[in-house]
Amino acid sequence: MITTRVIAVRIVIPPTNRTNKVKSSITRRKLISLTGKALAGFVSLATARKAKGAVRKFMVKTPAPKGYDPTKHKWLMAFDIEQCIGCGMCVQACELENKVPPGPTYFRTWIERYVIKRRKPGSSRARGETQVDSPSGGINGFPPTSVPREEILKSFYVPKLCNLCVDSPCVQACPVGATFDAPDGVVLVDPNYCIGCGFCIQACPYGCRFMHPETGTAEKCTLCYHRITRSLLPACVEVCPTEARIFGDLKNPVDDDPLMQFIEKNKVQTLKPHLGTSPRVLYAGMDKEVR
Amino acid sequence: MARKNGIPPQLVRLVLVTLAIIALYFTARYFMTPETFGQFGFYRGASLNEHATRPLSFAGKESCRNCHEEALQLVSQFEHKTLSCETCHGPAMSHVIDPETPLVKIEDGSCLRCHRSDPSRPSWLAQISLDDHYESDSCTDCHTPHQPNE
Repeated sequence: MITTRVIAVRIVIPPTNRTNKVKSSITRRKLISLTGKALAGFVSLATARKAKGAVRKFMVKTPAPKGYDPTKHKWLMAFDIEQCIGCGMCVQACELENKVPPGPTYFRTWIERYVIKRRKPGSSRARGETQVDSPSGGINGFPPTSVPREEILKSFYVPKLCNLCVDSPCVQACPVGATFDAPDGVVLVDPNYCIGCGFCIQACPYGCRFMHPETGTAEKCTLCYHRITRSLLPACVEVCPTEARIFGDLKNPVDDDPLMQFIEKNKVQTLKPHLGTSPRVLYAGMDKEVR
Repeated sequence: MARKNGIPPQLVRLVLVTLAIIALYFTARYFMTPETFGQFGFYRGASLNEHATRPLSFAGKESCRNCHEEALQLVSQFEHKTLSCETCHGPAMSHVIDPETPLVKIEDGSCLRCHRSDPSRPSWLAQISLDDHYESDSCTDCHTPHQPNE
C-alpha cells in the first residue's frame, strides 16, 4: 500500500521541478565528496596523532619508572590521630610537590582542628558542642584556638585527603570517564579529558576535590603518583615529623610493614561509612565527632 | 531496477544509508578513541604514565644519605629520628641534582611550629609556652636540632 503511494508521488512531481529543487541543496556528488573528505580528515588526524606520539617518545626523555605495573600494587594511607601535632608540614609539602594553586581554598590534603567543649552544667549530654576549624588548611600551622583552655574537654587534629573509595562517587559522576579508579587503588583525574563540569567535586562527600583556577579541570590528591611509582613516599608522608601518616602497599608488604603493624595494633575506622562509598583510608584514635 | 527480488528500492536505500551510518560510526570511533583507552578500564591508560612522569620536589631521606650519612646517623639516635631531613630543610630535589643549590634557610622560631604549647596537641609532645620558657634570642642557643635531648 505504502509503496504504491510513494510511486504515485514521484509521478506527480514533474522532472524539471525536481532538478531545480535538488540543485539548491545537496547533490549526490557533493555528499559523496563530503563523506570522502571527512574520512580523509579522520585518517590524516590519526596519522598526525600517531606521528606526534612517535616524535614525543623519541625526543622527550622521561624518567618514568620502567617496569612499574599498576596491577601489582595496592596503595593505602592510614592516619594515627594520636600522633598528629597539627604542624601543617604535610599541607605545605603537598603544595610544594604538586604545585597546588595558592589560596585559602585549594587543597589536596589539609588538617582540621576539632575542639570539643565541656558540657554545660545541668546538661544531659556527656560533652558540649564541637568546634572545627582549618585556617588555610593548616598550611602555616595553627594559631592558638579561640576557645579558652578551661572550656576544652578535649581537642585534636585530623589530617584529611582523598579517601580512596572503592565505590567512588566521583568516578560514577564523571560524564566523560576522565576520573577513574586506577588498578593500584589511586583515584586519578585525566586532565586531558576532564571537561571541567565539576560534577565530581559535588559528588565527593569528603570535599577532597577542587577546580584548578588555571587549567579549569578537577584536581585532587594523587597520592603523589609520580613519587610512589618511583618507590618514594608521598610528600606529606615524607615530611610528617611524627609518623602520623602511614603509607604502604597492601600487595607487597615489606618486613615489619608499618601499615600492617598499624592495622594490627589499632582499632581503625573510616570516614562516613554510612554513605556506602567504602573508603579505604583508615583512621585510628578517631572520636565520634569526626566527619 | 524497480523491484529486484521483490525488495522495494526505497527499503534498499534505507538499509544502505543505515549501514553507511553504522560504518561511519565505527570508523570515527576507531580513529577518535585514544590509543590506550580501555587498557585498564573505562579511561585512557596513558594517563597513568602522564601522572607518573611529573617532576619531583622532595628527594626523600635516602637521597640525603648518599652524602650526609653522618648527619643521618646522628639524628637517628635522638628524639628527632622520625623526622625526614626535608621536614625542616625543605624540598631538596634541586639540591640533589646540583649540590651547589642551597636549601631553604631555616628561620628562627620555626621550631615553634611544632613545639608551641597547644591544647590540641597530644601530651607526649614536648611543648613550650613562650611566657614561662627560658628567655633567649634563638632556640639554637640552648638546643641542637639534630640532638634535641642533649
